[in-house]
Amino acid sequence: MTALLDIRNVSRFFGGVKANQDVSFSVDPGIVMGLIGPNGAGKTTLFNCITGFYPPSRGEVLFKGQKINGLTPDKVCKLGMARTWQKVRPLAKLTVLDNAVVGALCRTSSIKEARAIALEQLRIVGMEKRASVLAGGLPIGERKKLELARVMATRPEMILLDEVMGGLNARESDEIIQLILDVKKRGLTQVVIEHDMKAIVRTCDRIVVLNSGEKLAEGTPQQIVNDPRVMAAYLGDSGGAKA
Amino acid sequence: MKSFAPWAVAAVAFALLPLWLQSPYALHIFISLFIAVALGESWNVLGGFAGQYSVGHSAWYGLGAYGAFILLQRNGIPPWFGVWVAVLGSVIIALIVGSITFRLRGPYFVLASIAVAEIIRLAALNWKDLTNGAEGIQPADLPPLKIGSQVLVADWNGKLPYYYMGLVMALFCIAVNYAVKRSKLGYYLQAIREDQDAAHSLGIPLTLYKNAGLAISAACTALAGSFAAFYIGFIEPQQVFGIDVSVDMVLVALIGGVGTVTGPLVGGIVLVLLNEGLRAAFEQGHLLVRGVLMIIAILLMPDGVVGVLAQRFRRKAVAP
Repeated sequence: MTALLDIRNVSRFFGGVKANQDVSFSVDPGIVMGLIGPNGAGKTTLFNCITGFYPPSRGEVLFKGQKINGLTPDKVCKLGMARTWQKVRPLAKLTVLDNAVVGALCRTSSIKEARAIALEQLRIVGMEKRASVLAGGLPIGERKKLELARVMATRPEMILLDEVMGGLNARESDEIIQLILDVKKRGLTQVVIEHDMKAIVRTCDRIVVLNSGEKLAEGTPQQIVNDPRVMAAYLGDSGGAKA
Repeated sequence: MKSFAPWAVAAVAFALLPLWLQSPYALHIFISLFIAVALGESWNVLGGFAGQYSVGHSAWYGLGAYGAFILLQRNGIPPWFGVWVAVLGSVIIALIVGSITFRLRGPYFVLASIAVAEIIRLAALNWKDLTNGAEGIQPADLPPLKIGSQVLVADWNGKLPYYYMGLVMALFCIAVNYAVKRSKLGYYLQAIREDQDAAHSLGIPLTLYKNAGLAISAACTALAGSFAAFYIGFIEPQQVFGIDVSVDMVLVALIGGVGTVTGPLVGGIVLVLLNEGLRAAFEQGHLLVRGVLMIIAILLMPDGVVGVLAQRFRRKAVAP
């Protein structure tokens, strides 16, 4: 089986800062890939490199076998890869429905059709009753769900979720976990940045660990949880000496 | 869905109004209103929907005016043909300018838009062979407007022909806003206004859509500018390319409500009445008073009159 997303030796430098260095991994179709690592490990930078917000300084990103580094974000989205944002970005003065309509218009020019797609996605995340509310007035939990509905409305083959559970309470996180599993059932491929290890273990088939911009480890959740290097990266090298 | 009925009623009422209202001064007020509304609506397509606050729209206003004036003066082409050439020319120049300045965001774009209008003003001032420089152009009498052999307007000295043309133009610009807002273009422009990065990530090619908005906005502005210039009957660079032309357009939309179809209409009514009232009350000082009032209005109603009304309405709808 060929990989849907293939990241080859991607590096991204900001001046002298190495935000990503020589990161390589591939994502097979239909799986949920977790991307974890301590703060500042370069997870969001990697998302930005993949989705065209900044081109990688070195290396290649292949999506469906096609080289996509150098493409602008709108073209990447058209190819079937959509992302959410760690810091949610609702279109504040548009309604919840219209937010999703903007996503749906990626694949159609008919407003009527886009509305139908948008409503369907709002229904899936359980927000169809909030359709006519302005997105700027939503609480954080619903904003995260709206982000999800909006990217799903672009009808992607692959979605990149940047901390969709950040700032949510346990019940809301559970809802998102369920949504990720539902999306997986529908055959979409997902890459998930997350800090909550429980959520990662419940949703992910494979995990890549980044640390200081480099890939530290890759494997199944079981392998990662038991990997001493991962522990060290999260908690410090010499057990509690730093604390 | 809102129906067209109120708009149709208003249009018919305005069309019948001159049967009773014949004083040139009253007609002049209405023509000023139509021009203000048309310009505010034109600006609104780019500034309101796409959030690209151009303070250089006098560029397209002046290019429309100069284009039509020069074609009439040099080639004897009547303005009702010449204006379309001028509109096309303005759009082409706007697209060239847009593909450069739309790389800029926020205040940098605003400054660039002012600079572009200023460059064009200086070009018009110094390209004397074409524009007659600071002396301006006062065109010869307009030829009669005919359809076939039927003469529609023989005498262009009265206000009535301008009243009806202005009315049609204002309604056209409102209709353009209405159509844009309900189209894919409208959704995309609003998405760009709310969050460019989010819009980009949802598959919107930013520069392409901003340029599409600019093209429509510049075309309507050039049309209205050319009409206004013929109504005044004289142009010179400062009068059509000056920054006060741009600022007036922004104010119409801002006072009424940016990014709404009805906003510039309301803003136009408020501003034209205010201008006339203040001029009568304060004579030379009216611009000063107007300036202070504008500042207060923008501080108190950042979303304009329509924004305030919409909020009231929403609150009432929410309250039991």
